[in-house]
Formats: sequence, structure tokens, C-alpha cells
Amino acid sequence: MEQPSRGTDLERLTVALLGNPNTGKSTLFTALAGIPTRVGNYPGVTVEEKLGRLTHRGRAIDLIDLPGTYSLAPQGPDERVAVDVLRGGQAGVPRPDVVIVVADATNLQRNLFLATQATELGLPLVVALTLFDIGRRRGRSIDTCELSRRLGCPVIPVAAPLGEGLADLKDAMLAASEGGPPTPLALEPSRIADHRPAAARDAIRRYALIDRLLAGIIRDDAVRRLPEDRIDRLLTHRFWGTLSFAAVMLALFSSIFWLAAPLMDLISAGIDALSERLATALPPGAVRDLVVDGVLAGIGGVVVFVPQIALLFLFIAILEGCGYLARAAYLMDRLLVGVGLSGKSFIPLLSSFACAIPGIMAARTIENRRDRLLTILVAPLMSCSARLPVYLLLCGAFVPDVAVGISWLRLPAVVLAGMYALGVLVAAAVAWAVSRTIFRGPPQPFVMELPGWRWPQAAVVLERAREAVWSFLKNAGTLILAVSVVVWAVSTYPQSEPRIAADVAAERASLAARVTDAGLPEADREELAEELAALDTPAGLEAARRGAIQRGSILGRAGRFVEPLVRPLGWDWKLGCAAIASFPAREVVLGTLSVLYNLPPEEAEGTALERRLKAARWADTGKRVFTLPVALSIMVFFALCAQCASTLVVIGRETQSWLWPVVTFTYMTVLAWLGAFATYQFGTRLGW
Amino acid sequence: MAVAVTTLDDVGAGETVQVADIQGDDGVAIRLLEMGLTPGIAVRVVGRAPFGDPLELEVRGYRLSIRRAEAARVIVDAA
Repeated sequence: MEQPSRGTDLERLTVALLGNPNTGKSTLFTALAGIPTRVGNYPGVTVEEKLGRLTHRGRAIDLIDLPGTYSLAPQGPDERVAVDVLRGGQAGVPRPDVVIVVADATNLQRNLFLATQATELGLPLVVALTLFDIGRRRGRSIDTCELSRRLGCPVIPVAAPLGEGLADLKDAMLAASEGGPPTPLALEPSRIADHRPAAARDAIRRYALIDRLLAGIIRDDAVRRLPEDRIDRLLTHRFWGTLSFAAVMLALFSSIFWLAAPLMDLISAGIDALSERLATALPPGAVRDLVVDGVLAGIGGVVVFVPQIALLFLFIAILEGCGYLARAAYLMDRLLVGVGLSGKSFIPLLSSFACAIPGIMAARTIENRRDRLLTILVAPLMSCSARLPVYLLLCGAFVPDVAVGISWLRLPAVVLAGMYALGVLVAAAVAWAVSRTIFRGPPQPFVMELPGWRWPQAAVVLERAREAVWSFLKNAGTLILAVSVVVWAVSTYPQSEPRIAADVAAERASLAARVTDAGLPEADREELAEELAALDTPAGLEAARRGAIQRGSILGRAGRFVEPLVRPLGWDWKLGCAAIASFPAREVVLGTLSVLYNLPPEEAEGTALERRLKAARWADTGKRVFTLPVALSIMVFFALCAQCASTLVVIGRETQSWLWPVVTFTYMTVLAWLGAFATYQFGTRLGW
Repeated sequence: MAVAVTTLDDVGAGETVQVADIQGDDGVAIRLLEMGLTPGIAVRVVGRAPFGDPLELEVRGYRLSIRRAEAARVIVDAA
């Protein structure tokens, strides 16, 4: 459709940006088109599609940012998409009218590999020589006129961050759209017989062509030592480099773990304030409950992730912009390759200790499809900050505070560290096993460019963070909200007033009977008396009613239904119920337990829940529910389970398939159950 | 005495060698050639990552990182 009208002033022009990764292509895109009009995935593949718009001399131009590509003999889905778009074979994307080859002026030989291939596309071509300013600072001068003559297409030097050359580039785009494609640059036939495949022969001859093309064109004056050369030597030094790496990663982790915390608290406080105002403004009833406890709480549960996602992507974009991201992958590769991952998995996995959601999103920086999927699959096993309250409560309440070997090394701290280690070890084992079975395949080339050091561009960095936050809210947020509303509904309905009254009366009778039981220890009877007295206060009665509603809801019944499944883990039905209720997010488990134990949900953070759990006993045997093996089994379960709907939704969105969230949920739940089972059974046998 | 073939993974940090050939004809070999490791080109081994793998190379004026397994396919001559 576009073809016949090429050259008409009224028609939109479609221009594609083609280039190697790390060539300043994103910077150029932002400089030309600003904020993209569309960011998404090409249909059926997890390859990012980025479109922008600009107008030049009255002509509207659609700009396509193609995935970074080393060669037009594609390897991997990203490169295949780029080639498909250029050939006009990508559904929904018009064949470009003009191709801009983005070539890094500081790395011209390798960048011309793609540029010379592009002369064979049969499309009008413009070469943009990016990072020209950096080349200049290094004392490099390039005879662009001669290069343009030899390539047969315009060559425009640009320094996108400085805005140099952009107008020339836009003029060249318009001019190229009027003209025809360049004459394809022919490769000289090999002089020697070669057994290699066509693509390999082609590569060797193409570099010979590039050597001829560049002969006499580049002049490097005495290479001046630049500050970045000193920085490079420091940052790649065996000792100082490793030390700086640790410092950078610590800064990254602290920013998403601690820096995000006040922002997240602010969001929670805002949502709380809003729900309080709505609660007083709306008449009591089902609608108010739905709006306040269902929808608003759900929105809070989505927005609360924004600070972490924004901070992590800011950080990643800065590291990527200055060239450190590739070096981080280089430094860590050996550690991860042994278990079937790659160096690029490091930052996504590290981030997952704060929260799996930004971590899984950060896996976008892994170009290799197999490595990316495997990283996403094991990322939720890293103990995120939502598990910490569960660990802290159970470690504090049920793990005896005794020294382990040294006086300052206390058992609760060891158990806590053990939970973090458990996640890492299981993730390593899973990655190792999956990479050697399901994901087995031909070896994937690991060839990674270590780009030169440069200053990150603020516009690119901000755009990256904005895009990550926006895609999370738009794609995952709505679904997470829907899931939390559904879980709220099944934990609140059905309600019947007589049943609630009967449940509260039964609780009262049971408490009254046990409070005088001389067989119980003094502390337990005190707790029971307090619980009984609380029933006569309005707040206590309200809490008991909420408990009754939850116990009688679909969820409460499901808890009783799954009791046979959780009995081997040492759990009672209330624990089973709390585990199911924590599906939207693990941290919900404490709030649910509070409600089930007739406490207001806010008590989850206080010591009241701890005391009540300690006093809880089995109805049939009268033995305590919460023993050390049970506490450990709960912790192991929560360390390994996938009770986080948001994570599963994000996995679905990032992999463009609902298969992977199902796989993740299944394998993690099975592992969590087995781990909890083994822990409880061992612990009980050993008499803990 | 058989003439030992030197591959890039045997080359010490700081040394410069010349690529003689790339073994194999799969995607890995093609990508190594496409990245500029063509017969005749000079390559400097800049260093190795702290755990000994991967390698950092300088070729055609830029820095490239490849794993030892891939470097073992690059047959080199002393420059």
C-alpha cells in the first residue's frame, strides 16, 4: 500500500532505525522522535516493538526502532524480526521507505558489517555515524564524504546528545525517500576454495570489503589518553574491579530495597487515607466493602510496586548508558554459567531479593531467549521482601534464641539466613536441571560487546524508567487488580448473619470452657482470658465477626477442604486457609492469620498475633499448633512457593504466554510442599 | 613432536595474536566471524573475568567478550 505513493508529500514516511546493539540507537531515537508513541511486542514474539513520530519540513515520519542486530543473517528472534520488518514480511508493520543504519563512529569496522549488508536490501539508505563527538575527542577523523561515495549512500555524522547533525539526518531521510536504493556492494569471490557455510564465507569476504572501504578514510591522531581509559583500567582490574562491582551492586540493591521503602509507605498511607475517607463517605454495605476492601486495596497492591520498578530501571538504564551493564555480566558470567544461566541473569536475580516483579522485568536486558526465560522461571525463588515479615515473626516467636557455636551467633538469625540460602540453592538446582533437560539445545553463542565508557543520557534513562512503569501499570496492573478483587470476594462471601452470630457464640463458649482448664499453663490461660474479655469490647467483637466471616467464606471452607493436604506439613486448617489467601501476595498471610485468630488485621505486625499463635492448640489433641518444626515448615513453604499473583501475572506478560506462569506456579508449589513436608517430618522425628 | 595448535583460550592476558581460523560451521562460528574475528586479524587478550572466564578481547578497535569454550574454537598464530 505504501509503495505506490512513495515520494508524495502528503503520505507519511516510514523510516526504520537499524543498528548494532550499543551504538547509541536509543539515544538517536529519543533525539529524533522523543517519547515513543507505541512500545509493545511484535505479535507472537517477545521482541520489543518501538514506534515514534516526528515531522520534518511538513512531512510526517513514522520511526521504527528495530531490535539491535549484528547481522542480517539472523540468529535469534530479535534479529529475525529486524530482517522481517526490512523485507516487509512482519505482519502489521509497513515495509520501511527509508532505512537509517546507525553506525558507531568509534567502532566503524564492525558497524559497517551491517551497513554493507543493508545496501543489499533494495531500500533507500542513510548511514548515521553516531558517537561522532567521542570519536573526535579521541583524535579520530573520518572522511565522511569519501565514505559516502564508496558506500553509495549519504553518511551523516551525528552527536545525538548534543543535537549535532540531527537536522542534516532528517534532510537526508527526506532526500533518500525521493531517490532510489544504493547499488549493492558486491563481495569479491573467494580466491581459495572454502568448505564453510555461506554465511561464514560471506562474513570473511565482507570484512575484506570493509577493509577496502575504509582504506585511507580514517585518521587516528596520536591517541590521547582520556579519563575513561583510567576508569576502565580500574573497573576491570581483578581486585579493584571486583570491589567496585560489589559497591555498585550494593548501591543498586539498597536503592530498590531501602530507598523504595519510604515511597512505598507513602503510597500505602495515601491508599489508607483514601479508603478511610471513602469508608466514611459511603453507606455501609456490600458496595462499600467492594470499593474499599476490594478495589482500592487492589489498586494499592499494584501501585505499591511502582517505586521499585522505577528505581531499578533508572539504575539499569544508567548502568547500560555508561557501559557498565555488559561489564557486570562479564564479571558474573562464570558464576552463573555453571547452573545454566548467564552473566546477564545477575542483576535480574539480585533485584528479585527485593521483589521478583522488577527482577523479572529486568530480564528484558537478556537478549538470549533461553537464558531470559530460565532467569524469569527461577527469579521468584529469591527471597523477596514480602517473605521477610513471615520469616521475622516465625523466627522471633518459635525459634529458640540460643547461641550457635559462638555467643553472638543466634539460632533465629541462622534460620533466617538459611531461608535466603535455601531460595538461592533451589534456584541454582532448578536452573541446572531445566537447562540440562527441557531447555537443552545447541550451544548459544555468547559474544558480548563491552562498549566504551560514556555518559548516560538523561532523556534515555528517564524514558526507560517511564516505559517500564507504564507497561507494568497498563499490562500487568489491571490483571493484578482483578485477581485481588476476586480473592477478596472469595474470602468475604458468602455471608449470613445467623451463621456469623453462631460462630462468635461458639468461639465465646470454647474460650470460656478452656479459660478454666487447670491443665493449661498459666500463660495460655491468661491469653485465653484476654481473648474472652476482648469479645465484650466493640473492637474485639468486630474482629471476631471478621474472623467468622472469613472462616465461613469460600476461602475458609477451602481451607478446611485442603486440610488433609496440609496435615502432613504439620498445619491446621487455619494455616491452610492463610496459605491459600496469600495467593495475591505472600505478605497477606499474616493479615489473614490475624483475622482468623480474631485479631484486627493491623495486629499482624504487633506481638498480639505472636502471643495468640503461641497459645493456639489443636482441637482434637490439645497439643500446640505452632511448634518449631511447624514454624520451620511454614517458612520453607513460603520461601519456595509462588504465592504471589502479581509475579505470575508479570511472568505471563513478559513471556507473552500463559504457559510459563502455570509452569512456575506448579513447580514452585510442588517444591514448597515437598520442602515443608520434609522439614516438618524431619523436625518432628528429631524431636525439635 | 606434533605441532600443537594454539587456540585463543591458551593466550595469556596482554598478548596479541593473529587469528588463523575458526573451527566449526555452526551459528557460534558464524557469529564469531561476523563479530570480526576473521582469519588474519590481530586480537589482543585484554584480560579475563575474576573467575577465569569469560575473556575480554580487543579486535578491530573494540572490546569483545567471549567464553573460553568459544575462544577454544579460534585457532591463532603468534602475531
